[in-house]
Amino acid sequence: MKLLLVEDDAEFATTLSQSLEALDHQVTVAADGLAAIDANDRERFDAVILDRMLPHMEGTTLVERLRERGQTLPVLMLSALGHSIDKVDGLKAGADDYIVKPTPVGEIDARLTALVRARGWKGEGANTLRAGRILVNPGKHRAWYGDDALDLSNLEFKLLSELARNAGSFVTRTMLLERVWGYDFEPATNIIEVQVRSLRRKLTANGAPDPIVTKRGVGYMLEQ
Amino acid sequence: MTSLRSLLFAFLALFAAATALTGYATYSASHAAITGLVDARIDLVADAITDGVRPGDAAAILARIDRFAHRRDTGDIGFELEDVRGRRLGGNVALARAIAPGYSSVSGSDGIAGLTAGRAERRDVGGGLRLITIAETEPVDGYAFIRARNYMIGFGAIMLIVLTGTATFALIVRRRIGEVRATAAAIVNGDLQHRVPVPARGGAFAAQAEAFNHMLDRVAALMDGLRQVSSEVAHDLRTPLARLRGRLALAADAPTAAAMRHEIEQATEQCDMLLATFSAILRIAEVEGGDRRARFAPVDLASLMGEVIETLRDAAAETGHRLTGAATHPVQIIGDRGLLAQALVNLVENALTHTPAGSVVTVAVAQDRGRASVCVADNGLGIAPADHARALRRFGRLDPSRHRPGHGLGLPLVQAIAHLHGGALTLGDAGPGLAATISLTVAPRGVEGPATADLRS
Repeated sequence: MKLLLVEDDAEFATTLSQSLEALDHQVTVAADGLAAIDANDRERFDAVILDRMLPHMEGTTLVERLRERGQTLPVLMLSALGHSIDKVDGLKAGADDYIVKPTPVGEIDARLTALVRARGWKGEGANTLRAGRILVNPGKHRAWYGDDALDLSNLEFKLLSELARNAGSFVTRTMLLERVWGYDFEPATNIIEVQVRSLRRKLTANGAPDPIVTKRGVGYMLEQ
Repeated sequence: MTSLRSLLFAFLALFAAATALTGYATYSASHAAITGLVDARIDLVADAITDGVRPGDAAAILARIDRFAHRRDTGDIGFELEDVRGRRLGGNVALARAIAPGYSSVSGSDGIAGLTAGRAERRDVGGGLRLITIAETEPVDGYAFIRARNYMIGFGAIMLIVLTGTATFALIVRRRIGEVRATAAAIVNGDLQHRVPVPARGGAFAAQAEAFNHMLDRVAALMDGLRQVSSEVAHDLRTPLARLRGRLALAADAPTAAAMRHEIEQATEQCDMLLATFSAILRIAEVEGGDRRARFAPVDLASLMGEVIETLRDAAAETGHRLTGAATHPVQIIGDRGLLAQALVNLVENALTHTPAGSVVTVAVAQDRGRASVCVADNGLGIAPADHARALRRFGRLDPSRHRPGHGLGLPLVQAIAHLHGGALTLGDAGPGLAATISLTVAPRGVEGPATADLRS
């Protein structure tokens, strides 16, 4: 992906852009809001990674400016402030997702992939989600693996939907906590592992191959 | 103890007594003055009637009476001449009763035409004759009544004005005190932004409200400073820790690390523990800051409990615990669903961590009129009542060796969340085991939020 990283902390910007480049992304760094708008006028980016606290122009203001100019590219906001009220402000301003520093680069990568993918859904019939042989219909609360209808608990169904929505890319623990449970905290119990395990058991009950890929330290993926 | 109220009533009673006494004294003084004047007049007239008349000359006296009765200045005076036995010899009035010697009062009941109240004088005029002279004390009919009524109205009005004034004053004082009390209550309930309204016209109340608000501003600034420092410390330490954790994860993946994997995993776990501690510190600071109040919405505790049980049931089973809880009817409160979920998850995880395998953890949501409660009880060893307060203190872990998992911030965080919602966290004995109860205020009737609608769909 072609990414625009807006970050005034030069050291952090270098570390993050190197890590992202290691994941095959092209990264352009802008040190403040004006530089970001300039860069965005010159080049076309797939997504923007934006620090909340910037000199001269706040991150939220920059998002508003971009949106006013008709820019619909995904914006992922980074912040050192761990408070949820900032998150609300960021999302209200027009950002698509919001994460709190320090964030592992894998998390940023997974979220950017999800955001870009979500842009691609527009116009498509979003009634059913398909991931390989798995079919999920969130509206009807039903799912199939091949020809077998799955009998899933509420949580298992939400988990499978989220994985199917992002089929082909990894979904991190934090993303699952936010989107399946609605939690903005990390429980001490391994609830995700337990839930994935029980979902796996149901998926493979009839001897079908396990479609869920685990990547330690990153998250889970449904094969496409 | 003298209360303001009893002081006020004593003051009003004394004031009423003094006013009534003054009214009575004024009335009697004017009454006595009029009586004195009338007595002097009839004395003078009686002198004039008898002046120069031979003692016993009844005819001469009657002739004078007749003359006086037709004079403009004495035309209103009544006279009666009697003999020594009290028999009427003549005069311009006829008395129904005997009049005592000297001065006395007469009234309308004495049957004297045209007289409602007056004075009479009986004197011996010599020669076995008595002269009775009578004059009206009232310039108009019912004068005494009118006078009494006017006094009542006048002094009554004074009483009324003072009573109304005092009541209004008491009301204003009570309202101002009420505002200060409401502010104090709001502060105690966690709304640190609340301030006493300052009266626009200034004065002592405005000065007092400003002083109070100034104190609250100062307290809030100090608390903000403290919170900020703790947040910044936690935050600044979190970044290098996250980096360290990343390095460990990379190291664990390296093929050469096979022999060290167990050690690396343990180090990663320690990192996670520290990160969890910092997250808890930051979360407590956030909750105590009160900003999350902006996200309050109707929440059904029963459905929240159902979701938490579904989330944790299998994890509990893996450690040999049984997690139960039956949702009955919805219990609506106004709150932050995410935080309430975190509080409940924390309490259940706390119970799972501190009880041996085979224990049962029970969650119950109840409503008793205006109060809602969420109780997480286990049948483990419990906490001695003497240690309950310490368990709620930050880092106040009861395990002296600190070998057990947990950062000692779980219960304080739950407590902070309860406080944010105007509630409280209490620890009790589940006999055996620990019962942790969050008590909250039920949402007012008619509040039916998207939370319940969501659950039912």
